[in-house]
Amino acid sequence: MTLIILGLGSSALAQTYNTFEPSKTQFMLRGYGHTGFEYLDTGGEQESTFLGATFAPIFLYKHSDKLMFEAELEFELEGNELKTGLEYADVMYVLNKHMTVRAGKFLLPFGTFMERLHPAWINRLPSRPLGFGHDGIAPASDIGVELRGAFDLGGPKLNYAVYVTNGPRIKDGSEEPEEAGMLDFGYYEDVNLAKALGGRIGLLPLSDSSMEWGISAYMTNSTGAEDSDYKDVGAFLWALDLSYVKSITPLQGVVDIKAQYNSSNVDTATYYEIEDGISEPYSFDNQSSSFYTQLSYRPIMSGSDFMKQLEFVGRYSDFNAPEGAEWEEKSTQYAFGLNYWLSWRSVVKFSYQTTKMEGGHDSDGTTRTNGLFVHWAIGF
Amino acid sequence: MKTTTNFKAAIILSVMASIMVACSSNKKPIATDTATEVAGSEVDFKIEKSGAQLWGEVCNRCHIAPSPADYNDTDWETISLHMRVRANLTEEEITKIESFLKSAN
Repeated sequence: MTLIILGLGSSALAQTYNTFEPSKTQFMLRGYGHTGFEYLDTGGEQESTFLGATFAPIFLYKHSDKLMFEAELEFELEGNELKTGLEYADVMYVLNKHMTVRAGKFLLPFGTFMERLHPAWINRLPSRPLGFGHDGIAPASDIGVELRGAFDLGGPKLNYAVYVTNGPRIKDGSEEPEEAGMLDFGYYEDVNLAKALGGRIGLLPLSDSSMEWGISAYMTNSTGAEDSDYKDVGAFLWALDLSYVKSITPLQGVVDIKAQYNSSNVDTATYYEIEDGISEPYSFDNQSSSFYTQLSYRPIMSGSDFMKQLEFVGRYSDFNAPEGAEWEEKSTQYAFGLNYWLSWRSVVKFSYQTTKMEGGHDSDGTTRTNGLFVHWAIGF
Repeated sequence: MKTTTNFKAAIILSVMASIMVACSSNKKPIATDTATEVAGSEVDFKIEKSGAQLWGEVCNRCHIAPSPADYNDTDWETISLHMRVRANLTEEEITKIESFLKSAN
């Protein structure tokens, strides 16, 4: 009897043990979240607020060593409303050692900031540089198909990505007259038969991979609806990016330099503004640009454990929207930050930021906005 | 306008192409770190980097290099495939980094 019980027990134990063996397919939940406090002074008008927590879960499903599905959701409180979004949701397959295909909604490799650096636990400052995000000129994500891969050149490395997506929609002013001529990269439904074609080439010329230069291009022959006057309005965008990350012994720390220049050129078209009930046509040279450069330093070789966790950050960015557009704008921004890293993926950021904006939506004058930020971000 | 844009694009592409050609020479990296190992069987002498070295170099390009202890072997396999595509890493880089993370956790 005892032997039977022991036999059954060992069998049950073996079954239990087997359940802890890795399965062929794997599912994983990762992501990040952040919260904080902001104080803003815009031309003498002050406001301060604690920010509702932002939660961005990332779902990873590894079907095999070559096939994976990934998706990121976004939950954010904006005022009293919960804003939700689908950052990306794509399936990928490794075709060979130099090529992977992705399909679905994915982050676009237009420069590096939006694809690699924008998550709150990676971005060294609480805010994004000018030209990225809402009303920005750099495309962030789209629906389509992409090929990407990398090569080892015997020391230097080269990576590439080419993609075809639905492309942006041009705002014709019928819904928001003050934004006529602006490209809407957040409109994912295809409004015409034309597709956007883009790509990026990245080169890491040094054998320690500390430096990367990248060039990106993005073009489409049509941004308007098939039956609209803007059907033939095309767009060509390009970007240059730089990354340099190096541990420098004389400085007793890691220096991290990032930079990206974005240029947007949209074909000239005629838009209409209504004044006193009369529709007046107008046009402008639809060229925009933005630039940012960021320097950060972490004294990881310091003798003090406290100092090792610190990071000093400075960033300059500017944004130029077309002259003659309702959204004409020239802005410059300086941001300075001090970060304390609780772990490799959790950081408390303190920063000061000052932005000078000439023009902008429904504004002809110059506005200066100063802000103090305390943010806490964590990746998981 | 389009002519100017195309001219700028041509200049940028030319500069990048020149850099790529200049850097894609067969010049081999010089061994400067003790964490490297030599692939002695190759006739063409080549320095191979260890997974630990690549972990330090590659991950830090975007974020602070992760602690190997934070995930188990199965998790690292999933994360490695995700990061290989997200950061556009070579197969050799991610294979060595994954091996290092699994051996050090």
